[in-house]
Amino acid sequence: MQITPNEIKLDRELSDLDKFAIGFAKSISNHTKYVIVSGYVSILLGRTRGSEDIDMLIPETNGKGWIKIYRALEKAGYQCINAAAQDSFSYLKDGIAVRFAPKGSPVPNMEILFAEEDVQKLALSTKMTAVVGKDRIFISNLELQIAYKEIILGSPKDMEDARHLRAILGKAINMKKLKEYEGVLHEKQ
Amino acid sequence: MKNNEKNQEQRMAFIDFWANYVRTHDDKEWSRLQNIIINQTPGMTAEQFLEMKGHNTKVK
Repeated sequence: MQITPNEIKLDRELSDLDKFAIGFAKSISNHTKYVIVSGYVSILLGRTRGSEDIDMLIPETNGKGWIKIYRALEKAGYQCINAAAQDSFSYLKDGIAVRFAPKGSPVPNMEILFAEEDVQKLALSTKMTAVVGKDRIFISNLELQIAYKEIILGSPKDMEDARHLRAILGKAINMKKLKEYEGVLHEKQ
Repeated sequence: MKNNEKNQEQRMAFIDFWANYVRTHDDKEWSRLQNIIINQTPGMTAEQFLEMKGHNTKVK
């Protein structure tokens, strides 16, 4: 694994979750920007825990723009498991995640939210590229992930995810950036 | 030390151990081991999944 400030390269054996994440990211990237955040970032980088879902943030769009994305995902072989097309936009506007899974199976699924809060917009604007074999996906900046999990989320699972990321980064961790994000998140509390 | 504190300490020690393994071994090697754990997807319906997640909404 090679970690630089804006990119991670890894040549891992793909898990079922990786294959889903890569395929879904390819489909949605034709229609919107995105960033994958939270647990999957740690799992991609080696954390030994499973997950049924992956968290994805996309920029806020209007109803027409969203329905276009919804239909494109359906066409690509995914189904929304918790909202019909006509309801899904209001879910997103209300901060409720809309979940897409491969047709015929509810897991794994992609939990999509509009990036409405400042920290979510920050995750989108500071995203980094993970080069996974021949594929590329956008994931959250690792220092932001660590700060968010330690300060905002704070459950044992999140603290363990953060510890894994700290250990993986080792000396490559950007302490200046981490402190900056910690400051932003302490203000938010 | 209480049992849950001891358990948590051991979990953290394992995370450090495993992260060091990831850092010092080939990606193919650690990911092959990791996949044994994370590829075990539970079979369930959408309704069961949403119930587990505490959602009361589903596609009509």
